Order: sequence, then structure tokens, then C-alpha cells
Amino acid sequence: MAASLTGLLKPWTPRVLLVRWSRYNPYYLEPGPRKEVYHIPETELTPEQKEERELKSVRPIKAATNSVTSSVFNDPVLSKFVNMMMKDGDKIIAKGIITQTLENMKRKQVEKYHKAPEGKKAEIECNPYAIFHQALENCKPVIGLTSIQKGGKFYQVPIPLTDNRRRFLAMKWMITECRDNKHRRTLMYEKLSQELLAAFSKEGNVVKRKHELHKMAESNRAYAHYRWW
Amino acid sequence: PSLTLPNIPSGCGQQQEAIGMETRPETFSIFRTQENDPACQSEQHLGQYYTVPPSHFHTVFPHGLPPRYQQQVKTFNEGCVMVRQPALELISHLKRADYSKPTLRYLLYGVKGSGKTMSLCHTVHYCSTQGWLVLHIPDAHLWVKNCKELLPSSYHASRFDQPIQASNWLRNFRTTNEHFLSKIKLRQRYVWTKRESTEEGRPLGELVDMGVSRVKSSSDVVGAVLKELRLQAGGTEGGFRLAVAVDGVNGLWGRTTLKKEDKSPVAPEELTLVHNLRKMINNDWCGGAVIATLSQTGSLYAPSSAYLPQELLGEEGFDSMDPFVPVPVSLYSEKEFESCYLYYLDHIHFHHWLQHPHSQTEEGKKELIFLSNRNPSVLERLCAFL
Repeated sequence: MAASLTGLLKPWTPRVLLVRWSRYNPYYLEPGPRKEVYHIPETELTPEQKEERELKSVRPIKAATNSVTSSVFNDPVLSKFVNMMMKDGDKIIAKGIITQTLENMKRKQVEKYHKAPEGKKAEIECNPYAIFHQALENCKPVIGLTSIQKGGKFYQVPIPLTDNRRRFLAMKWMITECRDNKHRRTLMYEKLSQELLAAFSKEGNVVKRKHELHKMAESNRAYAHYRWW
Repeated sequence: PSLTLPNIPSGCGQQQEAIGMETRPETFSIFRTQENDPACQSEQHLGQYYTVPPSHFHTVFPHGLPPRYQQQVKTFNEGCVMVRQPALELISHLKRADYSKPTLRYLLYGVKGSGKTMSLCHTVHYCSTQGWLVLHIPDAHLWVKNCKELLPSSYHASRFDQPIQASNWLRNFRTTNEHFLSKIKLRQRYVWTKRESTEEGRPLGELVDMGVSRVKSSSDVVGAVLKELRLQAGGTEGGFRLAVAVDGVNGLWGRTTLKKEDKSPVAPEELTLVHNLRKMINNDWCGGAVIATLSQTGSLYAPSSAYLPQELLGEEGFDSMDPFVPVPVSLYSEKEFESCYLYYLDHIHFHHWLQHPHSQTEEGKKELIFLSNRNPSVLERLCAFL
């Protein structure tokens, strides 16, 4: 039934399950901005890639947003973080803060590398992108809580989280932590680099908040059967 | 009679060693050179990086380096400067100039971020290794803006003093030229207040110390120091060569952002420091050279696309600097870009600076060329976060 339904979808068909600002129905395909994919010659394609190419020649494709580039340095997770940090649509300032943060992290790590004894040098991670991704991974909660009403009262019930939700929560906690708990004179990039380095080594306030959420979920285990999905 | 000062014996023989070192791969790289003495560098070293010896670093450059470069030196634990064509040209002019004639003025100009200040610092290093007395003003724009204390001058009624800037500069001047301070004797008696005066024949070091400790008269001390050096630079007995290196020389003419107490604007002539510096830049003394850089970055009321001497100096400035030897500083050539890229990628001396895995590929390199347009400062900022 699902197969026949997708056959009925046309470019002009409105969405059934509404998504926040998107006017595209599922008939449209995502844009693929990386150049390497198109450079592979015909003979070396795997069957899935061949299918994908045929589908792309038939179906319409969504328009790419302004922040997506074909550059090798394009990182979707980092772009999402920049968008979340942005206020009033001022992406230049947000991007500037993130680049300063990366530079600051790299400088701190390189200085630590120079001071470290020979044996410890290999363990120090100097790549700011690797640190950023690892820190975000360390902040992602595994299980979440939601409020479910049963018999007139609201209970905090532990639920599984989707990947997107986990990533969102990690980024949100990081940004609110840096905005709220810093000294008036510290700049955002300085505080952010401190927090990211702490999260990389599993210390710091954000990781503590994740652990507290896990403990709450563990303590409310009894209400887990209130969830019906 | 032309001055023949003894050339400081330098390790030109190091060139032979560099060729012999090819067999030891860990010290030989294509973008570094072992020739750390600016006097011996020639066209074959173009595009290569040489290290400023760490012992000299703080004496030669207490001020004057661009702030981002200072951060880089702190992170990498070494100060490497690229040998580029404008600096080599300047150094060859300085080697062959006739120092009994009035001073030659050299002006470095170029687009924003093309390396004018670094070329100036390279030349200053050459001058200090050759034993010249170096008068390095890190940025003339700092003297015409953001001044918290503006005292009316005691020496001249209509002029203004800047005690903080003058005392800072004197302190740095003392660090750079320690060995000259005891040798140069004053030729005139200077009276500061009713009770204090500096007699004729006292060493210059005493004057400088007085300027650093008595902050109120430090601007007048600066004027006195400049006058003494100007008189004594061309002298035949105990003579030394004087290098005046001014960064952002276009700040000396033009407007200031400072205001008098009745909110009327202060013209640059009314500042003692600027007045005295302008007298230095005039070519009515001999026995040295004036090397200046234009700078749009700190300049006041100048459009950001202006980089030519005519635009930045203005009518008055151009007439005072005329005649000068213009030295254009261009963006990196292909060879220089390669060298800079390899320097950032160096993993022998430090864990490479370019950490992003894609930046080490060909694609990433092409992208860096495109994004920075081979502009040195833009490239440095890009590589900082990649």
C-alpha cells in the first residue's frame, strides 16, 4: 500500500505529516553537494549508487540552503551548532565566535603538547574538530524524560530519544551553560573552548547535567510502563 | 669622506653547512633555511623561512610585531620569518647606500595584509645584527588616537604631551639599544624643572631612565633623545648608524581623534611626539636611513580600500616624504604560498598547525588558495581554525 501511495505523490502534492517550515513532500530528494560522488566513473559504482543516480535523474530535488557548500571543510554538525548559537539571524557573529573557539582550543592543545613529556605527546589531541565532535558525543544523553499525564497527575517518564533529539539536547545544554555560567568579563569563545575541552575529558558542567538526567531517568524507572509508544 | 664602519662578521659560511646538511633529513626542509643572519640572505633564499634566534628575540622585538604574529610565536615557541623580495631589496639598498649624503627614506606600501610590517621587522633585525641604533616606532597611529591623558606641554605653550605613550616607548627603546646607552654622550644641557637638569656629557642611558621614571616630562625626553641621535648619527668619531623604523607613518599627517578640553579637535602638529618624529623623518641629517610603512588598518578617516602612498599620506604627508624610495609589497607568489603552506604543515618541529584532515589534501590546498587569494594575513587566519 505504501508503494502505491508513493506512486501517487507528485511534486505539487502537499505534505501529509507537516514539518515546521518545509513545503516539500517526501517525493523530493535531498541535495548532495559533495563533488567526489559525481566524479566516480560509471564502471565503479555499486548497485545502490547506480539506483540513487537513476532516481536523481527522475525525481525533483529540494533547493540547497545558503549555508551548505561543496567545500571540503563543510561540516553539517558544526553548521547546526552555528545556527543554534545565532541570535537575530546574525550568522557572521556566530560563525566568528565558533572559529575563534576552534582556534583557541587548537592553541591551548598545541601549547600543552609542547610542554608534555615525550611519552604523553601522542595522547594529546590537537585537532579542534575532533575535540568538538568527541565533546558533543560525550554530552549526548542516552535516555530522556517526558511528562505524561495519568489519572490527573503528571509523571516524569523515561523515554528513548531519537538521534536528532540527542544532538539537539547536547548542543542546547552546551550553549546555555556557556551563556549563563560565565563571568561578566569572559568572552563567549573563551568559555566555550573551556567547556568543550572539559567535555572532551568528561568533566565539566554539561557532562554533569547529562549524568543528572540519567540518574533521574533511573530513579523513575517504575513509571516506564506509562509510555504507550 | 664616506663612512667605513666595520661590518659585523657574520656566519656567511653557514651556507656551506646548509648544503652539507642535505644528508640529514630531519634538519633540512625545502621551506626552511639555516641562514639565520639577514646580512647573508640572498635571492636563493627567497620564499624560505629563517628562525630569529630566541636569545635575540626579546631584545630586538620588544614591540613592533603584529599581534597575531606574537600569538603565533608564543604557540610555536619559535619566531620564523619568511625571506621575501621587498625585504631583500631594502637590505641591499641599505648595504650599498652612501651614508655621508642626506638620509634616504624608504616607504613600504601594499594592500592590507600583504606583509609590510613583517618586512619592516625583517629589516629591523638586519639593522640590529649589523650594530645600528634602531629607533622602532611600532605604530604611529597609537600616538594620535585613544589617549587618556593629554597634558599641556611645559616646553611649548600650544603643544600637548602624552606621558603614557612616551614612557612606554622609552622603556622599549631602552630594551632594544642597551649597549648604546652608555656610549652616547649628550651634547647639550637639558633643564626639566627648577631642580632637575641633565648636564652635558652624561650618557644617554641616564636621560632615558629619567624619562621612564618621571612620566610627566617623558614626551620632552623623547624629543631630546631624538635630537641628540640626529646630531650624533653622522659623526666621524664614535659614529653609529641610525635606523628610524616607523610603522603606520601616515598617522603623522592627517587628523587625530583627540580633543582638547573645549571639545575642539587636536591637529597632529600640536602633539610633541608627532612634532619631534616629523623632524626625524625630514632628510636634513645624515648617517642613517628612514624606513616607513603605510598602514590603513589603524588609520583614521581613511577609506578601507586605500593603500597607495598618495591616498594614505595625503597632500601634506606626501610633500614631506617626497623624495622617497617606494617599495611595493605584493601578495604571496606561488612559491611563497607553497612555502607558507608547508610551514604550517610541518610536523617535525611541531605537531602540524593545519589539523583538519582535508586541509592536508590537494583539494584543501586549492580551496585555501581560493579563499585567501594568497593574502598572507587572510591565509594565517584561515589556517588558525582549520
